[in-house]
Amino acid sequence: MHIPDAFIPMGQALIYWVIALVFIALALRWARRSMGEEKIPLVAVLAAGIFAIQALNIPIPWGTSGHMVGAALAAIVLGSPFAGVFVLTLVLLVQGVIFGDGGITVMGANIVNMGVVGGFVGYYGYAAVKGVIGNAYAAAFIAGWASLFISAILCAVELAIAGTFPLELGLTFMGTYHAVIGLIEGGITAVALYLIASARPDILEHPMGVSA
Amino acid sequence: METKQFIIIGIAIALVIAVAAPFLASGDPDGLESAFFSIYEAKPFMGSELDEDAAGAAEEQAIAATGNDFSYEALMPDYSIPGMDKPGEVFAVVIGTLLMLALVFVVAKASARPDN
Repeated sequence: MHIPDAFIPMGQALIYWVIALVFIALALRWARRSMGEEKIPLVAVLAAGIFAIQALNIPIPWGTSGHMVGAALAAIVLGSPFAGVFVLTLVLLVQGVIFGDGGITVMGANIVNMGVVGGFVGYYGYAAVKGVIGNAYAAAFIAGWASLFISAILCAVELAIAGTFPLELGLTFMGTYHAVIGLIEGGITAVALYLIASARPDILEHPMGVSA
Repeated sequence: METKQFIIIGIAIALVIAVAAPFLASGDPDGLESAFFSIYEAKPFMGSELDEDAAGAAEEQAIAATGNDFSYEALMPDYSIPGMDKPGEVFAVVIGTLLMLALVFVVAKASARPDN
């Protein structure tokens, strides 16, 4: 879902950069207040793992593929939507600058879609679903799916404003493909959460339940 | 599990994925690219045949529509090293993974809450 430079006019891309920078500043404030020094290696390993798994495109029907984004996982494990913003901003920076994956002028839009929306929908979706059904892994699956799907819907709206996609077709196509790709996001989010919780239950910011 | 062990296993898992990804990853367009190609009639919405010429023309049309012709030559475009095929791809993803580890460690250390 990495938007390339050509898809959004420069002026609009700048606006998304401003929105992204506001959330990056808030993520840095979260880190200063709530990310203890003992969490540093975990954050670094999570980011490295998310980068690696983003390179693993999994085929879905219709000659299409999709990959994990990982903001929901980072937000759930580290106990804050801003953790998703923090990790995804750095992942998208390296992907764009070193690997040409995702544009430079539109990086703000990619940070908003995948980091901000992914982190917030992932974190609050997980908290809400877990509160209702009680199962952390089912909640992680649903939150992961929703984070990916809603990112794609917002992306379609941005590209409609940009004049690149007609709104209705963009929503239909982006929604259909990402409803399936969301299953990858949800599945890996749930499995990774299970592995981390099994190895180190203490490391989760809210092991028994997320207090929002 | 001790923290050190946990972190080492985490790094090992990331590196295994990084090495395997170039061999296992699907080369099909992702969801956004597929939507883009479908809208610009280079690929059927629910079909897999990509018309390469139409795909190239679609990119020109997008630039014309948005006026954003910014272009940037990345060091390792599309997780590859030009002319190095699979070994280059493995190298690119492994280097990226290690770079992430180092960069996020440094940024997290600089921005974390001091313990004292």
